[in-house]
Amino acid sequence: MNSKEKLHPILIEMKKDLKNGAVSRREFLRYASLLGASAATVSTLGGITFPESSVAATVKRGGVLKVSQQIQKIDHPARYTWIMPSNAMRQVLEYMTFTDENNITRPYLCESWSASDDLKTWTFNVRKNVTFNNGDTLTADDCIFTIGQWLDKEVKSSLLGLVGSYLDPAGIEKTGEYQFKLHLKRPEIAVPEHFFMYMAQVVNHRTFDGDIKKAPHGTGPFTLDTYKEGEICILKARKDYWQKGNDGKPLPYIDEIRFIDMGGDLAPQIAALKAGDIDLIDSSDNVGPRIMKAVKNDDHIEVISVTTATTRVLRMRVDIKPWDDNRVRMALKLCQNREKILALAYQGEGTEGEDVHVYPNHPEYCDIPVPKYQPEKAKQLLKEAGYPEGIDVNLAVASEWSDVVRYAEVLKQDAAPAGFRINIQTMPSSQYWEKWTEVDLGITPWTHRPLGTMVLNLAYTSDDDGKPVPWNETRWVDEEFNELLAKASGIYDVKERRKVFCELEKIMQERGPIGIAYWMNLWLCPNKKIKNLLAHPNKYLFLKDIFLDG
Amino acid sequence: MNTTDSKNNSEPEVSDGQQAESRHGERSALRSGPKILTTFSSSLGVLFSSRIAVIGLSIVLFWVAVAVFAPMLSPYTPYEQDWKAPNQGPTAAHILGTDELGRDLWTRLIYGARIVLIILPISEDLWLPGGTAVWGVFVALLFGTTLGLLSGYHGGWLDEVVMRLLDAMMAIPIILLFLIIMSTLGASAFNVVIAITIVGTPGIARLVRSLTLDIRTREYVKAAQTRGESSWYIMFVEILPNARGPIIVDAMLRIGYAIFAMGTLGFLGLGMPPPSPDWGSMVAKGREFILEGSFWAALWPSLAIASLVVGLNLLADGLREESMKYQ
Repeated sequence: MNSKEKLHPILIEMKKDLKNGAVSRREFLRYASLLGASAATVSTLGGITFPESSVAATVKRGGVLKVSQQIQKIDHPARYTWIMPSNAMRQVLEYMTFTDENNITRPYLCESWSASDDLKTWTFNVRKNVTFNNGDTLTADDCIFTIGQWLDKEVKSSLLGLVGSYLDPAGIEKTGEYQFKLHLKRPEIAVPEHFFMYMAQVVNHRTFDGDIKKAPHGTGPFTLDTYKEGEICILKARKDYWQKGNDGKPLPYIDEIRFIDMGGDLAPQIAALKAGDIDLIDSSDNVGPRIMKAVKNDDHIEVISVTTATTRVLRMRVDIKPWDDNRVRMALKLCQNREKILALAYQGEGTEGEDVHVYPNHPEYCDIPVPKYQPEKAKQLLKEAGYPEGIDVNLAVASEWSDVVRYAEVLKQDAAPAGFRINIQTMPSSQYWEKWTEVDLGITPWTHRPLGTMVLNLAYTSDDDGKPVPWNETRWVDEEFNELLAKASGIYDVKERRKVFCELEKIMQERGPIGIAYWMNLWLCPNKKIKNLLAHPNKYLFLKDIFLDG
Repeated sequence: MNTTDSKNNSEPEVSDGQQAESRHGERSALRSGPKILTTFSSSLGVLFSSRIAVIGLSIVLFWVAVAVFAPMLSPYTPYEQDWKAPNQGPTAAHILGTDELGRDLWTRLIYGARIVLIILPISEDLWLPGGTAVWGVFVALLFGTTLGLLSGYHGGWLDEVVMRLLDAMMAIPIILLFLIIMSTLGASAFNVVIAITIVGTPGIARLVRSLTLDIRTREYVKAAQTRGESSWYIMFVEILPNARGPIIVDAMLRIGYAIFAMGTLGFLGLGMPPPSPDWGSMVAKGREFILEGSFWAALWPSLAIASLVVGLNLLADGLREESMKYQ
């Protein structure tokens, strides 16, 4: 332990909690790392070690990795709405931090950071000797520019709702060539985790002009060779990457990655995976047990499973009739027979939801009961809301997400006794994404996020002017909820935080704008020749230190 | 692809048959007696003298029968979900098995036949008699016949304009045209009818025009002109009835194509909205589970589409063959 390292007072408190068992080992690790304590400090302090991923002793260099992925239109990294493009560009551009598969955030382009005692001032130190692939050196300016892009209203980044809720552009201060400070409007613990959101890729402030394809200058291990929408994306290894492999030479081990667009349909992709034409399917935006079930008996393919907070959100626009009436929303939520929905839509491969966008593995999750299927009560509520004869509603779903369609079909059937006449409107997923924030009733896929506060801040709050944030697809703005959420985001103590979350979850369940019937397990199914592949709950792909053998 | 191929193959035959039919028509038109009865019995005679036509007819009648009596043929509704038993193979309780939501496949199959052949659902409670495919072809026939008669009988600039426009429409691949129409209009039975109409009209118009070009030179048309009949009378009373043979044969084939098209649209998620027991979407949803080992949900609707299309084709082929004997 470096005796000079200043410990955050929270950590000293927490160490006691760790001893008497009030804080889990995992929680301690998470907070210690979030607050910028080094691995050595953590292991001395808590008597525990960081889980390290095992790396094979001998690695092989060379080879081409082939991944099937829909090559989508991209321009500004801060505007990604899908994980897929971030997965391709993740190999070219990098993040300031790295949240690993255990939800622990570690240093990355920022080599260390520290927070003030009140969690309102954060100091980040940028890693030295990191170069962009065009030769420029990474400095604090690049990080500041990138954060500035998120906060720029013109850019319309979804990070505005998340980071913008506690940080103004004026709050960013450059304190050195390799150091910057953030002065927050309110305490926030999860800043380093937010820096790893999939749209938070660091761009080169000298060359970036709004379209990353024109100047794909990142610090990542690969360079962008070709990017053809709907066709192919080719990445080539760079020779001067800042991280070194086990053999002492710079990463990456492989020479080239080809992302090949085979369309959204899974069957040809599964066939290609089985035949060995591709090595991996990027199924980050197309989840389901289908790939796993199809390949689990195949000798050439490995199945790695992850429990996640990935889910399908039945969202109602609260600014549009009839969903402005909480009784109608409640009625529809009561029509979800969760056990049945999970069994039929996702073949039971997940956990039942409680209409609250916090999942049981989130650290601050407060246990609340799963609502029961109550069509009679729903009917009563509809009657009270002025629809004694029942009500006709349109439900927008994308036909490619078959589990969403099944969810909708089960809901239609089970909501009929309550008086809901649901007309399911199917459309291609591309069409759904064009209007996902606009439809009055729809089912939107939401990806895993490691912290409960993250998605709540993204989708269920308003900006400073009281307007819903960009990703608030339901337009639901509840003042009490907003205040409690802001409070929760600044509480370090999990027990205290959980208390606030109990209230938050209660509000959301009782008058919130969404139904969540199930949380989904996910699987990564690579060809066995890919070694050292990390299965991340977000289905992020990390390809810098994989190698091909066999 | 299949649709276009078989269609191309059938074109020359249709024009052969067309001459035969019109001659036959000519004869029957000259005959005296109650026209409709004679026509009916002679059609039946034609039908039953061809073995192919009889086989085709029995397949088609089978589907019509199960569709008409669907509510009596199954204890379930097509929407009932037995969620404890999804993706089952055939059992005593579910003779063809269940789909991914535990719905009875036999029930969904026969209710699916209703949508194709017997009823056109407009909304949840409102429906019209006559199946979606049948309506599509019927409306296409109305437009196609009118356009074909007009341009064939009048000729000149009208013919040029109408035919060039229809040529332009025919230049677009059928499946592409379907996709454009359906993704613009949205998924519903009514829109499927519109799509089938738009796609079917040009072909019918071309056929009727070529028949009209032939028939308008006949003496009885000349006679009607001499009598001073209006051109509408000549087109619809003199020409159309004498062109009906090839048109009927063509319509049979077209219903087959329409069923095929409905299957394709449903498969692509652009047909009837779920949970409608649309055959195409049943295949699409069942297909997801083939790799996991339960192929029943995809098998039955595929067989249903195939058998009905084959049945209609056999019927049309038989009719055409028989009518050619009169040459």
